[in-house]
Amino acid sequence: MATVQVSEAEKVYILHGIRDDLRVDGRGCEDYRHMEIETDVVSNTDGSAKVTLGHTAVLVGIKADIGKPRPGVPNEGYLEFFVDCSANATPEFEGRGGEELGTELSNTLYKVFNNKHSVDLKSLCISAGEHCWVLYVDVLLLQCDGNLYDAISVAIKAALFNTKIPKVHISADEEGGKEIELSDDPYDCMRLDVENVPCIVTLCKVGHRHVVDVTLQEKACSVASLIISVTHTGTVTCTRKVGGGSLDPESIFEMTEAGKRVGKALHAPLMKLLQQEESLGKTRQKVGFLG
Amino acid sequence: MPTDTKRVRGPEASQSPSLFLCKPATVLPSRGPRADGRQRDQVDVRPVFVRCGLVSQAKGSAYIEAGNTKLMCCVYGPRETERKDETDMKCGRLIADMRFAPFSCRERGSWIQGSQEKDLSLMLHESLQPAVCLHKYPRSQIEVNVMVLENSGSILAHAVTCASLALADAGIEMYDLVLGCSMRQDGTSYMVDPSYVEESGCSDNQGGLTVAFLPSLNQISGLQSDGEMAEETLTAGVRTCIEGCYKLYPVIQQALSKAVRRAAPPPPES
Repeated sequence: MATVQVSEAEKVYILHGIRDDLRVDGRGCEDYRHMEIETDVVSNTDGSAKVTLGHTAVLVGIKADIGKPRPGVPNEGYLEFFVDCSANATPEFEGRGGEELGTELSNTLYKVFNNKHSVDLKSLCISAGEHCWVLYVDVLLLQCDGNLYDAISVAIKAALFNTKIPKVHISADEEGGKEIELSDDPYDCMRLDVENVPCIVTLCKVGHRHVVDVTLQEKACSVASLIISVTHTGTVTCTRKVGGGSLDPESIFEMTEAGKRVGKALHAPLMKLLQQEESLGKTRQKVGFLG
Repeated sequence: MPTDTKRVRGPEASQSPSLFLCKPATVLPSRGPRADGRQRDQVDVRPVFVRCGLVSQAKGSAYIEAGNTKLMCCVYGPRETERKDETDMKCGRLIADMRFAPFSCRERGSWIQGSQEKDLSLMLHESLQPAVCLHKYPRSQIEVNVMVLENSGSILAHAVTCASLALADAGIEMYDLVLGCSMRQDGTSYMVDPSYVEESGCSDNQGGLTVAFLPSLNQISGLQSDGEMAEETLTAGVRTCIEGCYKLYPVIQQALSKAVRRAAPPPPES
């Protein structure tokens, strides 16, 4: 993750503030920064979303390709995640510098979605054992100011909501083989049900308290964080401890409980916002990248 | 994808014969005792065989066997940092690397590190880092290499234990040993220290959890879970894994003191 140098005096200042539930920008310990979400920003993709969380900006593009199902599960499609840390975000990511962070982020995303209920993979099947939809979820980090996991998970949920997969018909051709036909109508498409897509909440241990949505300065004062991914029903799909420090078992229990609470509360407003944006249809004002 | 020119690979389109089985693989029942006779819903870890000091060239090494899971770990260091631009003046670096032998799992793996291995190496690094006194080794690096010889479940947990034993055997200063324990939640019952078959089952409300624990300091240095679990199940699972670590502790301590005594026998009473 991009780092900033923080002096000892500043660390003490941040620590004391958090102890009294007052962060540097005036938020409480469990408040998020101002979040802006916009879907359908890139026209060449099947689904896309851009999320700006404070100064962190993330762009997700989803493309649906027809591929062969995995050997063990012939009647399911699958998702492939790839996170690219753009050198625009910080010069540390130039060349192969951002590769480590990108692999860490994509491996965590694989774990978060590694269960039966997040995305209905059976609906991605075209013909069992031969063809299925493969959703390539590509995440691009445009700006990095802490809390990448949360921004990425919200962007993926919004992009999956926005994804329009074309409907296909399978017909038998002359030699008896199967032929796939895409329907001619560009609006004839299948949408995904994103109710169960989890959102990731990152909680950092700063001093004796845990903090949601840290900025880079606050991150420099913490030694360990816990990533927890929560669905709208409160089911936890993945947890992970990151950072070079250790955590007390009691803190972990407190943090999981807080993470579950915060994560659960994130879903309802997000879905409402996405549906509202969708219902505006053509009258929606596109903000794009310069808003 | 970089091609590995040093090793002879199988043909590109080869598949494991297990895909062509006539009858599906037996699904383990969710009730009743486990396949190897251990109990569900109890902290029943597999008996562990540990030995230190097997590799003569390495500064420290350890080998662990739990059921059919076999792992070995070698520690080299403290050495001069290879990449000069990353030398840290105030504390040392810990480099953890975990690899699978291609014959270790049911399906043949490749020698090139896949993303799963990179992820496990990162988890191993995060679990070991809080325990090692890196500030005592400025401008140096300590390398920990774990090789999985046979994967029969809970490899990350045993890798953490093996690596911390190897670090202790190498004489690297640590705050505490790091012990790993993993468990698998299957519906409403749980299984501690799952075997490979138990880990790869797939049903509703299934999840796995691995915890790396420092027993004397009562701190958790590594935590990873996947699959779907309720938050209460997760909390109960963490407590179960901590108990499993405490069960493992005396065995590891004994193995370490045996190794130290072998290396430096106490002076004879005279």
